[in-house]
Amino acid sequence: MTNQHSPLTEPLAEPDTVVSELLDFLAGQTRSPWSPETDLFRDGGLSSLFAMQLVVHLETRYGIAIRGADLRLDNFRTVQLMSALVRRLQQARADGRDG
Amino acid sequence: MGEDLAGAVASATALVAGHAAEWDRTGLLPLPLLRELGAQGRLCAEVPVEYGGWGLSSLTGGEYTAHIGSLCSSLRSVLTSQAMAAWTVQRLGTAQQRADCLSRLTGGGLAAVAFSEPQAGSDLSAMTTTIRHEGGSVVVDGRKAWVTAGHYADLIVVFGRFQDGAAAVLVPADAPGVRVRRIAEPLGCRAAGHAEVTLDSVRLPLDQVLGGHALPLSLLVTTALAQGRMSVAWGCVGILRACLAAATAHAADREQFGRPLAEHQLVARHLAELYAGEQIATRVCEHASRCWDSGSPEQVVATVLAKHVSATRAAQGAASAVQVLASAGATDGGLVARAYRDAKLMEIIEGSSELCQLMLAQHAVSRREPGAAAAVTP
Repeated sequence: MTNQHSPLTEPLAEPDTVVSELLDFLAGQTRSPWSPETDLFRDGGLSSLFAMQLVVHLETRYGIAIRGADLRLDNFRTVQLMSALVRRLQQARADGRDG
Repeated sequence: MGEDLAGAVASATALVAGHAAEWDRTGLLPLPLLRELGAQGRLCAEVPVEYGGWGLSSLTGGEYTAHIGSLCSSLRSVLTSQAMAAWTVQRLGTAQQRADCLSRLTGGGLAAVAFSEPQAGSDLSAMTTTIRHEGGSVVVDGRKAWVTAGHYADLIVVFGRFQDGAAAVLVPADAPGVRVRRIAEPLGCRAAGHAEVTLDSVRLPLDQVLGGHALPLSLLVTTALAQGRMSVAWGCVGILRACLAAATAHAADREQFGRPLAEHQLVARHLAELYAGEQIATRVCEHASRCWDSGSPEQVVATVLAKHVSATRAAQGAASAVQVLASAGATDGGLVARAYRDAKLMEIIEGSSELCQLMLAQHAVSRREPGAAAAVTP
C-alpha cells in the first residue's frame, strides 16, 4: 500500500534543509527557479494535480502522513509553509501524536 | 502480503465465470456475492491489514482488479467504488473515522462515491450539493447522478460544498431524506448498480464529515479519483485480456475460405493490435502502480496516463474482438459484446478521455525545456 510509512529512524529535518530541498524538487519538476515565498498556486499557476504530487513527495521524503485538515492548500502555498508543515508533522510523530 | 493472490483469483473465477452474462442481462449482481467478497476485504484490496484489510500493494491489487475485470466489468465497477470510498476515508478521514469506517468496508459493508450531478459532470466545480452546519449536526442537500454501486451501497461518500471550500461526508443510504433510484439500462457495466441519489435535508452527526474541515474542491476530487482511475485502468487491462483470449481462440479455430481466420492477414492485424493493446495497457498500469508502491510523486501523472491509455486501448480492443468473432460475438450478454459496451463507458467515467488528455497536455507543457522553442526556429 502506498503512503504507509514504516517508523523512520532519520532525525528531524532542519527547516533550512527542507526549504532548499523543496526548491530543488520544484525546480526539477517545473524546470524553472522558485523562491521560498512565491505563492505556487496563485502566482505559479500550478494545478491541483501538482498539489497532489507535492503531498506525495513530502510524505515519502520526510516520513510523514498528511491527512485530513492538514491537506488544506494553505499548507502547500509556499515552500516556507510546506517546510513548517513538515516540521510540525515530524515533531508530532516524534511526540507520538501521529495520525 | 498477497501470497494468497492465486487462491483469491481462482475463487473469484469459480464465483463469477458462467454468471456474468446473466448478471448483464438482468442488470443485477447477487448481493450475497458482494457481501462475501466485501467481508474478505477483496473489494478494497489495498486497505492496510491494521484496518482489517487485505493489505495488497498497488501492483498486486491491480492484478486482482484486472482479473475481476476480465470476468465481469460490473463487479469490477463495484470493486472500484468500494476501493475509492476506502481510499477517500483513508486519505481525508481522522484516525477515528479511519478505524470505524475501514473496518466496515472490509467487513461486508458496501460503499459508493457520489461526485457527478445533473449539471456538474466533467466540470465538478459546478457542484451545487451543500453540507452545512446546523446546531450540532450537518445537513446535506443535493442531487447526485451516475453513482456507481449506489444501488447496493450501505454508505455513500458524498462530495459537496462546505464552509469556504468543500468536504466529503459519510451518508448512510438508509438515513432519512436519502433516496436512491437505480438507473435501469446503462450502456455498459449494466449490473454495476448505477444510481441517482437525492439528498433532501439529510441531517447527520458532525463527525460524519471526513476530516472535519473544508478543503479545496479540486484537491478533494483529485485525491479521491486517483484511486478510482488506477482501478479503472487495471479493469481495462482485464477487458483486453478477456478479449485477446476470446479473439485468438476463435481465430485459430474457425476456418473460412479453407484456412483458419488467424491466417487471413486482415484478421491477423486485429489480433496483433489486440495483443499490442493488452501489453501496452499492462505496462503503463504496472508503471503507475510501482510509482504508488514506491511513493513517487510521478504517481499522480502516471495514474492519469494509465487510465487514459488503458481505456482507449480497451475500447479499440473490444471493438476488434467483436469484429473477429463477428456473428459468434454479436449476442448481447456474451463476453465480447459486454466488453464492447463496458469499455466504451470506461472512456467516459473517472475523467473522460478528453479531460485526461487536457491534464496530460498541461503536464507536458509544464515540463517543457526552457529555450527549446528558439532551438527549432530557423
